[in-house]
Formats: sequence, structure tokens, C-alpha cells
Amino acid sequence: MTSLRHNLALFGWQMVIVLSVLVVWQWAFELHRRMPALIPDLFDPYFISKPSEIFDQFLVLSCLKTRMGDWTLATPDGFSRCLARFDNNLWFATWVTLKNTFYGFITGVSSGFVLGLLLGRSRRLGEIFQPSITAVNSIPRIALAPIIVLAFGIGDTSKVVTSWVCVVFMVFYNVFAGARSVDEGFMNAARLLGASEWQITRTVVIPSTMAWLFASLTPAIANALIGVIVGEFIGAEHGIGRLIIESEARGEASGMMVAVLILMVIGVILSTLIWRLQAYLLRWQAETGRGVE
Amino acid sequence: MIRIEVRGLGKSFPFQGATIEAVSGVSFAIAKGEFVALLGPSGCGKSTVLNMIATLLRPTAGEIYIDGERSRPDRPHPNVGYVFQRDTLFPWRTVADNVGYGLELKGIRRAERVERVAACLAQAGLEHFGTAYPSALSGGMRQRAALMRTLVVEPQILLMDEPFGALDTHTKIDMHEVLLNIWDREQQTVLFVTHDLAEALTLADRIILLSARPGRVKDSFEIDFPRPRDAVTLRETPRYAELFSQVWHSLGEEFMRGRRP
Repeated sequence: MTSLRHNLALFGWQMVIVLSVLVVWQWAFELHRRMPALIPDLFDPYFISKPSEIFDQFLVLSCLKTRMGDWTLATPDGFSRCLARFDNNLWFATWVTLKNTFYGFITGVSSGFVLGLLLGRSRRLGEIFQPSITAVNSIPRIALAPIIVLAFGIGDTSKVVTSWVCVVFMVFYNVFAGARSVDEGFMNAARLLGASEWQITRTVVIPSTMAWLFASLTPAIANALIGVIVGEFIGAEHGIGRLIIESEARGEASGMMVAVLILMVIGVILSTLIWRLQAYLLRWQAETGRGVE
Repeated sequence: MIRIEVRGLGKSFPFQGATIEAVSGVSFAIAKGEFVALLGPSGCGKSTVLNMIATLLRPTAGEIYIDGERSRPDRPHPNVGYVFQRDTLFPWRTVADNVGYGLELKGIRRAERVERVAACLAQAGLEHFGTAYPSALSGGMRQRAALMRTLVVEPQILLMDEPFGALDTHTKIDMHEVLLNIWDREQQTVLFVTHDLAEALTLADRIILLSARPGRVKDSFEIDFPRPRDAVTLRETPRYAELFSQVWHSLGEEFMRGRRP
């Protein structure tokens, strides 16, 4: 009971904060214009728009309303005609960005994992590649985006590659450190029970590296999204990043805000999914510290 | 029949530019079905001897024979089981999956594995903890599970490196009973490293006493208590007190010697 009340109170306070931000955002500038002496020049909607405009813009970008302000769903084929005419609509842009983020994330995580495991377990390979990896890692990844777009064109490939570049090193370093720090005792136990090198890798090295891998996944998904958005900034036909650039060209802060808020929602959903997956796969860690006696 | 034989075994480590001799000229032989305790003060190299026999360490001198066959470094003998000082249960596997690990490595099919694991868990009194993860178990239960992980593949030779060293006295005696029960039935050849004289007397047929560093075989004592033994009442017999003081005297000398730098 107390915990329910506690949660309700928590939720209440969180709502109060969100609402007050929205209220200030919506009306502060209005008040400033009416009473310049009393209210400071806080938020100019030219730069940051305001909630009501953002909501209207959301309806327009998602083809629920026309630019004239008519509901597309009021006419039988209004919605589908809008989608066909406006090819970077919010639905399609979100789909493209999500798809490329997913591919960038998957390729980045899997190649980073394999690379980290290989170089982490083989002393010799590690020594050979360490300098080049350190050198490449010290390049700010974003600086590569224009080169990648030049090389792979403005289609999806360049976005996936940019995203991959943003993910792979982070995962690599974590897995590398994890593979280096596998408990000798576990390895010996496996070896003395007759495990082959491959069996040791599969049953000891990989499971004990999982915790390190997962530690890198939440930042990795955020980086995958950054890679795609930056790639879209440089050159793209579709995607949320493209939507931001288009809105900026029109001087439409509301359009940029819609895109940013959508990205926020995507980010929250993706990290929640990873967190769930991690809680399941690392469930053996959850019981730590509980004794039976 | 001799199962384990070591001849002139030695091990030295490089340490800060000098060479430290941990073990020197150790020779002994263990017959089939014999339970031998390797006893000595801390730092005398008894674990080093055991680890060399287990192929975890490479000897710098001497030879090791298992079943008459010269043991090769880095090639663990399939008949040898090893129990570690601290439990090395895999935290990401349930207790049952830990115990069944050795069977899994051998490619034994699931149905048989489940059966053999269940039998082992019952022997160790862990039948209700198969689905638990090791982190949920007490130290004694974890060490019992670790013992079963070694025993499930039915090794004929058991090497044990102070397996109960981290347990409190009562848990330790529980473990002695578990081990004695299993040994009475299976009659494995055991080499058991310990610094605890009471433990050595309770379990072993023979105690090999190592000197302070560098470890050498100093003495050997036959422990002639009848079997099966009871880990609790054994300690109240006059013969126990007699043997205890006899070995203690010799061990005490090494404690004193070991203290001097």
C-alpha cells in the first residue's frame, strides 16, 4: 500500500515538472510581450517554437492534417494521398531512421564483439593491432560522416556505415577488456574437466564477457542513432535527420522540435528494450548478495 | 598398484631478479584407493606440488607419473579430478548446469545428464537447489556443488586443494562427512592438501608432512583409524589425541622455521 502511494506521489511530482515546463514554454514569451518590464525575455518561439505549434506541426508532418489545416482522415483518400505526395513524412522518415539505426547497431555490435573476443583472447593479435585500433579510435567518428556519404552515396548504405563506425569501437573496447579479465579460476576449472580451447571460449569466455558487452549496449544504441542522424544531415533523401535539415532550411523551429521529440521517444524505447533484454540474459547476476542460510 | 608418483619434483619462481625455490626434491608415491593428506605450514609449497600434478603448473625439476605414464604439461589427465580452494562455480549457470558441466563437455546426452546430476545433487543434499544460481547459495553449499561438479564425471584420482579452507568449523565437519561417505563408496585415490591437522587426521590414511619453504618431504605418518570413520566422534578417541600430538610436534617445528625470514 505504501509503495503504491509512494509511486503515485512520485508520478504526481513528475507530471507537475513536465506540465510546468510546457506551460512556461507555451506562454512565457507571450507574457513577456505584454509585460516586458515584469517578465524577462525568456523563450523566443522563433528559435524554440512552442508546444501548441509543435503539436500542429506534428499533425502536418505525420499527414494527419494538411498545411491548410484540414483533417486528412475526413476525406476517404486524404491520408494516403498526403503520404504519397509528401515522401519524407514523419512515418516514413521514422521508419527509415529506425531501420538504418537497427542495421548499424547489429553490424556494429556483432563485429565489435567478434573483434574484441579475438584480440582479447589472442595475445599476439592484440599486440599487433593495438596501435592501429588506438589510432583509428582517436578519430572523432562524426568527422568521417562526409567521407562515408561521399563514398556510399546518399542512400541507406552510407547511414548504416556511419552508424556502424559510431558503434563498433565502443563495443570492441568493452568486449576486449572483458575477454582480458576472464577469471583464471573458471578457465582452469573448465580445462581440468577436459574442455578444449573452443569449449572454453564458448562456455567460459563468452558468458563472462556478456556483462561487459551489455554495459556497452545502451551507449551503443544511442551512438547508432547519432551516426544515422549525422549521416542524414550530410546527405539523404529520407529520415528524421533529413526532416530536421528541411525544417531548418524553411526556418521552421516547430518541425525541428517534432523531429527531436520523436528521436527522444525512439531513444527511450530502444534503451528500455535493451535494458529488458539485459535483465533477462544476466538474470544470474540479479541474485547476487542473497544467501540461503 | 601405484597411481600417482612424483620423483625429485622441484619448482622455482623468478622473483624480483632472484630465484625463489618453492618446492625442492619432493618424492612420494600414492597407491590405488589411498587417501593421502599433504600437510604443511602456509607457504610451504604444498599447493604448488598439487598444481604441478594437476598440470596447472610446470615443474622446473623432476617427473610426475599418473598410472605409470609420465604426465605432460598442459595436458590434464582424463582420470584426474580437481577441487579448488575457492569455489569456481560458473555464476551464469544454475547449480544443476554447473554440476552437469563436465558431462556436457563429454557430449553426454541430456536425459542421462539430468539423471546423473540429480543423483549427485541428492548425495550432496542439494536436491532442492538445482535451479538456483550459485550466488543464492551459502559457502558450504557452493563448495558441495563444486565437489559434485568434479565427481560427476567419476574421476578415479582426486586432487583437492584446501577445498574446505574457507569454511567455518561446523560446515567443514559436514563436508568431511559428505566426502568420507563418497570415498567409502567410490574408493578414489585422493591427494588432499591442507594446513589443518585435524582435517588431515579425520580424512587420510597417510599424512605426508612438508617442511617450510622450500618444501621437502619431512615426514610421513600412517593414520590407522578404522573405516568407515565418523568425523565427529573420531576426535574424542585416545588414539586421535596420540596421533595429533605426534604429528603436531613435527608440524610445529616447521611453523617455527617458516616464521623466520
